[in-house]
Amino acid sequence: MMNKLTLNIESDCNQFSLAIDQCLSFSGIVGVFGHSGSGKTTLLRAIAGLNQQTTGSIVFNDHVLLDSNNNKNLKAENRNISMVFQEPRLFPHLNVEQNLDFAIKRCQHSQLNKKDIIELTNITSMLDKNITQLSGGEQQKVALARAILSEPKLLLLDEPLSALDRKSKKELISLLKTVNKKLNLPMIYVSHSSEELQQLAEQLVVIEQGKIIEVGNVHQVFHQLNTTQLIKQQTSLAVTVEEINERHGLVKLGLAEQHIFMSLAQLADDDKELITQLSSLRCYIFASDISITTIEPTNSSIVNQLEAKIIKINQDRSQVLITLQCQQQEFFASISSYSLDKLALSINQNVYIQFKASAVRTLTI
Amino acid sequence: MTEFSDDSLALITTLKMAGLTTFFLMLIGTPLAWFLAKMQSRGKVFIEAIVALPLVLPPTVLGFYLLIAFSPQYLPGQLWQEVTGQQLAFSFSALVIGSIFYSLPFVVQPLQKAFEQLGTDYLEAGAMLNAGPLDRFFTLVFPMTKASFITAASLGFAHTVGEFGVVLMIGGNIPGETRVLSIALFDHVEAFNYTQAHTLAISLVIASLVLLSAIYLLNHRPIFQPNSQHNFQGNSRSKHLPQKSGNNGKVT
Repeated sequence: MMNKLTLNIESDCNQFSLAIDQCLSFSGIVGVFGHSGSGKTTLLRAIAGLNQQTTGSIVFNDHVLLDSNNNKNLKAENRNISMVFQEPRLFPHLNVEQNLDFAIKRCQHSQLNKKDIIELTNITSMLDKNITQLSGGEQQKVALARAILSEPKLLLLDEPLSALDRKSKKELISLLKTVNKKLNLPMIYVSHSSEELQQLAEQLVVIEQGKIIEVGNVHQVFHQLNTTQLIKQQTSLAVTVEEINERHGLVKLGLAEQHIFMSLAQLADDDKELITQLSSLRCYIFASDISITTIEPTNSSIVNQLEAKIIKINQDRSQVLITLQCQQQEFFASISSYSLDKLALSINQNVYIQFKASAVRTLTI
Repeated sequence: MTEFSDDSLALITTLKMAGLTTFFLMLIGTPLAWFLAKMQSRGKVFIEAIVALPLVLPPTVLGFYLLIAFSPQYLPGQLWQEVTGQQLAFSFSALVIGSIFYSLPFVVQPLQKAFEQLGTDYLEAGAMLNAGPLDRFFTLVFPMTKASFITAASLGFAHTVGEFGVVLMIGGNIPGETRVLSIALFDHVEAFNYTQAHTLAISLVIASLVLLSAIYLLNHRPIFQPNSQHNFQGNSRSKHLPQKSGNNGKVT
């Protein structure tokens, strides 16, 4: 089901004012990317109703949450929206199960089965524990389960993984993907981590100084951002998992009609197990990890070699960002201006790009 | 009537006065403390100063103004007389009203501190789970600040038991009505009844000591630790996390 969120809001923050006028149609997870202080949390709090000074209008699937022209401003508790915060905010005077029950008791049209959600979020063993007995990752899983059990129409996530270690992060990302798919729960995920968003989001909204500067498909938006200073320049890819070559420690990934290889060495042991069960994967390659050669490389240790056409050259002082088209896929390579001159690269020129199997990175499996 | 039963009457009057005062103080003090904890305008300082006045004023000053206000010549006293048909000054009700003013800071301050330290994080989390304001107060704020409520009630009670100046001004020393323990003690001393005076005084000392020890014991063993920071790894952006346990009421 497609969800529609119409935002036309203004809100004063300390350093800037948030001004958003945007209509989002989405089915999966919408990512909101921006640096600290860009206004992304303010936006999320405005949608949640936690920022009562917000003016304008917010409509979610024909449900008017805010319409200041008609003096309508639904309170947070009446918006049917739930939120997972950066810190878990589990109620310390209640144990894990009581925290879940708090949400269930206040859910008006309870349809989900408590046991199913407990199993889905993998928290069965923690139910009778005190909050203080849980690790950060465990607490965040309980917070997610609690938010789901309040059965919101929209789930907001405000940097829920930023305080977690890499292992918990990976676990929660795959959990969020599962939750999104199984429960068909629309989510807005705010983060300053491009890595997390690259894994989760279908659509990406980029905020700077309280204004939206980019919206669109997550891979395309990341590619747009390559010419800004906001992210580390990269190629964002959605690939299929085709074959595991354990002897050589490589995974063969399908990209349209081509193949690239990813090194298994970067993966943790349990991820190596998991990848065999997966059909698709999101990964990224930093522009600084891709090199360009004008003649076909034949005797190279670099396993990934693709033919591509130069479609854009962006020069920023001594650094040059080359955009290349390789069948349907764009790739981004960052080279020095010295190399640009030496190879005499020009637009529409056919070249070869090369990158090591270890340059193909992924946060989660 | 024997001296003993006189003192018993004074004890009953005192407990009744302190109990009722504490009850009303919790009713009035809780919303006032909440309001002060959430208030952000400059007027907050002024209201805080008014609440704290009984801490610094000689009780006789407060008693003097209350005596005037309670007298039938002035509006509060007049209103009271019209509604109840009885004079307010030198009545048990006057004692309770006076004690409410006198002990207000002892209830408001620990509660305000607790509400401030609790912050808004848990309340926002509650709102996001569809809990309304009253629901949030009774199911989140109250259990999380329970120790401060106990502190506030105990201090309010104990301070009311110990009052002398205000009672002296507005009470009138009527046995069974307005004669409280502290006044009874004063009477014994005036009459050179040192034995009775000793009995009363030492009982008050012991009772107060027991009550205060109980409060401090309770505060040193918090019912819970709202601070989850130690379980939250590598968190450099945790500005929203609450500070220390909100249970240590300010004991002045």
